[in-house]
Amino acid sequence: MDTMSTWSQLIPEFSFQQVFVEPWTEFLDPFIWIFLMGFFVTAACGFLGTFIVWRRMALVGDAISHSVLPGLVIAFLVSQSRDTLPMFLGAVGAGILTTALIEVIHQKSRIKTDAALGIVFTTLFAIGVVLVSLYGENVDLDTDCVLYGELEHVTLEPLSSVLGLFAAPGSVLRMGIVALLVVGLVVLFYRPLVVSSFDPGLARSIGMSPAVMHHALMSLLAIVVVSSFEAVGAVLVIAMLIFPGTTASLLSDRLPVILGITLVIALLGALLGMHFALWLDISTAGAISTVIFGLFLLAWVFAPRRGLIWRALR
Amino acid sequence: MQEIPLETHDLTVAYDKRPVLYGVDVQVPEGKLVGIVGPNGAGKSTLIKAIMGIVPATGGWVKVFGDSFAKGAKRVGYVPQRESVDWDFPVNVMDVVLMGRYGKLGLMGRVRKSDREIAEACLDKVGMLPYAKRQISNLSGGQQQRVFLARALAQESDLYLMDEPFVGVDAATEAAIIELLRELKDRGKTILVVHHDLPTAQTYFDMLMLLNMRLVAFGPTKEVFTQELLQKTYGGRLTILSEVANTVLKESK
Amino acid sequence: MKLGFGYGVSHQLTRVKSPRYLLVLLSILFFSATAEAARISDLEETNVWEQMFRFFSMRDDVVRTALLGSVFLGVSCGLLGSFIVVRKLSLFGDTLSHAVLPGVAIGYLVAGQKDPFAIFFGATLAGILGTVMVNLIKKTTHIKEDSSLGMVLAGFYGVGIVLMNRIQKLPTGTQSGLDKFLFGQAAALSATEVWMIAGVAAASIVLVLLFYRQFLVGSFDIGFARSLGLPAGLFHYLLMMLLAFTVVVSLQAVGAVLVSAMLVIPAASAYLLTDRMHRMLIIASGFGIFSGVLGAFFSFLGNSLPTGPLMVLASSAVFTLSFFFSPKHGLVSRWRKRRSGQIRIENENTLKAIYQVRESYGFAGEGVKVKDLAIRMNETSDETLRRLQKLRAVGVCDLKEIEGKPFAFLNPEGWLRACAVVRNHRLWELYLTNQAEYEPDHVHDDAEIIEHVLGEETVRRLERLLDYPVEDPHGKLIPSLADLQRSLTQGGLDEKTTGYRMPNR
Repeated sequence: MDTMSTWSQLIPEFSFQQVFVEPWTEFLDPFIWIFLMGFFVTAACGFLGTFIVWRRMALVGDAISHSVLPGLVIAFLVSQSRDTLPMFLGAVGAGILTTALIEVIHQKSRIKTDAALGIVFTTLFAIGVVLVSLYGENVDLDTDCVLYGELEHVTLEPLSSVLGLFAAPGSVLRMGIVALLVVGLVVLFYRPLVVSSFDPGLARSIGMSPAVMHHALMSLLAIVVVSSFEAVGAVLVIAMLIFPGTTASLLSDRLPVILGITLVIALLGALLGMHFALWLDISTAGAISTVIFGLFLLAWVFAPRRGLIWRALR
Repeated sequence: MQEIPLETHDLTVAYDKRPVLYGVDVQVPEGKLVGIVGPNGAGKSTLIKAIMGIVPATGGWVKVFGDSFAKGAKRVGYVPQRESVDWDFPVNVMDVVLMGRYGKLGLMGRVRKSDREIAEACLDKVGMLPYAKRQISNLSGGQQQRVFLARALAQESDLYLMDEPFVGVDAATEAAIIELLRELKDRGKTILVVHHDLPTAQTYFDMLMLLNMRLVAFGPTKEVFTQELLQKTYGGRLTILSEVANTVLKESK
Repeated sequence: MKLGFGYGVSHQLTRVKSPRYLLVLLSILFFSATAEAARISDLEETNVWEQMFRFFSMRDDVVRTALLGSVFLGVSCGLLGSFIVVRKLSLFGDTLSHAVLPGVAIGYLVAGQKDPFAIFFGATLAGILGTVMVNLIKKTTHIKEDSSLGMVLAGFYGVGIVLMNRIQKLPTGTQSGLDKFLFGQAAALSATEVWMIAGVAAASIVLVLLFYRQFLVGSFDIGFARSLGLPAGLFHYLLMMLLAFTVVVSLQAVGAVLVSAMLVIPAASAYLLTDRMHRMLIIASGFGIFSGVLGAFFSFLGNSLPTGPLMVLASSAVFTLSFFFSPKHGLVSRWRKRRSGQIRIENENTLKAIYQVRESYGFAGEGVKVKDLAIRMNETSDETLRRLQKLRAVGVCDLKEIEGKPFAFLNPEGWLRACAVVRNHRLWELYLTNQAEYEPDHVHDDAEIIEHVLGEETVRRLERLLDYPVEDPHGKLIPSLADLQRSLTQGGLDEKTTGYRMPNR
């Protein structure tokens, strides 16, 4: 094959009208759902992820997102449905199993935590992949979905109406509720969250329980990861978890502002990601994570005071 | 009747089944500035953490103002080791000092104007008011310690537990801190300070706790700061204790 | 998920009712089976043994390539993985394996086809870029290492996915075979790729043999390595380079998503079996080969199953076995050891109680009434008898009936051990009260535990430290070590210092 033609075909023709205008004028119905789903996922992950990053739990999030796979598949196989409840139970079961196994291996042998993490989540993930390959047809899941999600599939879902006010695909509604839940809980428990993340000793001395906080945060993380799984797959969740928070922390050193910026990043990521995915005919989740990776690189280089350029000039 | 701010009985702590503190019995009287001294690994920080329940005690009990720690917690102020927190955390000096008020506010209470005023007064007291809006990563070691101190003041506690507040601070800050501690003491507060420097320990504190895996001595500085007791604390006669502790650990694995 | 032909057919069989259709389907199956016989797949009808024979006899080329590839891959994964595990770099391995993905895609695009060399260079470059970026982020921002690892992992992986999506949309893209780089397909290995894997394995073996000591010191204590004047940085980069090569050549067979598992799991299993680095390297390579070959075999059995997850599962099985059954660090052997320790402690407590009962009678008489012992130990006579039978089983105790009542007699060895336990207990109490200045009411519980673990050396030091005491804090006799040993060598026990009296037979 001719190399030149490969490159020219790699980037398809760009039509502003088709890529940026028509989704909002002609085809609002499917595209608004893709956009909203992308936004809800990135916002929920990013908002919570800000704290996850500060508490150095980022890679735990990665581990959970991989190891829920066998739980999901087994739940499918047992219940023979894609209902939310069995799937959620399966995923939570797998999540609990992950943390328990990591603890057991770490405590009962001389394997260090990092290796224990690496052993447990890859093993569970491998089980999941083999199950998907064996029973893929029955569970309506395939390895592509595992690798980069099927965010676009929300457009195939029937709309369900909410109190007769408006109608939206079920998974978009669910993700919206999860995103609201995350933002609401973080705002409500903002203070204990901040204190226990910054200084667990002080939290303890003013009568808070850092352990309770930790478990609550882990549970919320599990909920968010599980709800995002079908949209972004097992691997890209970590992009949504880490990038918004770290990028924002390069732009401000006030936590409330940082949390605000993560929402803006989620918005930009979902919006640009949707348009790029439409233009390049690629996975929307992949496009969103590439966009927020790009936003991070921009902030890293150009951020005032903390950016590379600023530091070089100083 | 005078309250006993802090009492421990047979307090024993083991990390991973390895005993680090053995049966500590103390009764700290009110209004004293108490130094906790001992060699590295003697369990000084562990003692404070065990009192607060940050590390679980394997035996014995702790009473704070005659009650369990959880009930007395609101009357206890805590200054952790400076390195124990992440100074890149996105909060500014004022935010940190306000954290000292959270215990009084409860989970949902709003930060009132009076809380801000108290926080400002405390910052002023440690000479850090001009830095109130500064991000905490942009502070020197001494300044960071002063912020922690201001936060402890803002807690308005009756008992203070401070873990190595003099590590990595400049001489001016050290002098300012000790002056502040004496002032607190004069107002009837009780202060426990983990300290690692023997010569200054003699001049700083009213009472000393000599610690090396177990309590060697506890009493007024004049009585306790003797060649014999210090020898006992820092000397090697207690090595069998830790050796045996290691054997116990190996057997139990 | 596109299922393989054989699988699909067998599934349809269950739905077919009429035997006529069945016949048609069987003939289709037969023809397709003969037509595809050369392919590494689809022989649903042959049995496992035949498949195994076919696989391990390496009759056809595809199998031979897959098998050889898995063997070499196992070796280099085991070797490099061992260093990863002891250096606590397993998360770095994970990041590296995801970060190479865009390089794979770009290598493909540059060559215009699935050219192993172009992909090798592309992937290595991407891996290096990722590594550099992790370090740069760490150095120039406040972002911590775990987050920067996660960012490079996810960011690069996302770009890789986007590029691969695009390649699949190219006219030739659907046959690119790049999707096999995610979960691996050993059957898709080309001869060139196997040569490359073999090359990396050979380079790893040679370099590890040559610089074994340098790698070892650098892994254990990099500061010390520098102080020896070793170019520690150089060896570190050499190791990282080998690691990157290993990851890159493993992609085709294991897949980017799970390469890190093939690095970590065989090495961690080996870590449970040995305490020496060189043995760990050998065992880990062995486990690597075993998991690789087993994974390839199962992938060969189950039509179109990706190889990577199967290799990982094989290595997880190995890990599970060593986690439970490792002779030294395994859960089972540790449980056994603890169990025997508990039995010893129980026996020692019985001996101590016998001593105490005799002591309460001023060491008069030779035996101990079982009933007294039961009262002492706060249990029923039956329970006490059972204890004593355990003692008799280890040969330190006799049971006799005197005037219809059961009595226990210790032989000299039993008495000696009883004295030793009592001595340990009382010495420790004395040490805690005199030297560590404990309140006498605190020391008993502690001594209850310590008495069973004090070694002879520690006992000597305690005696010296305490000036060879003869009485404990409660005023009771401490049987001395020296006396006990003297008694033993002279063939009998001295009644005065040890309280022992030979039973009258």
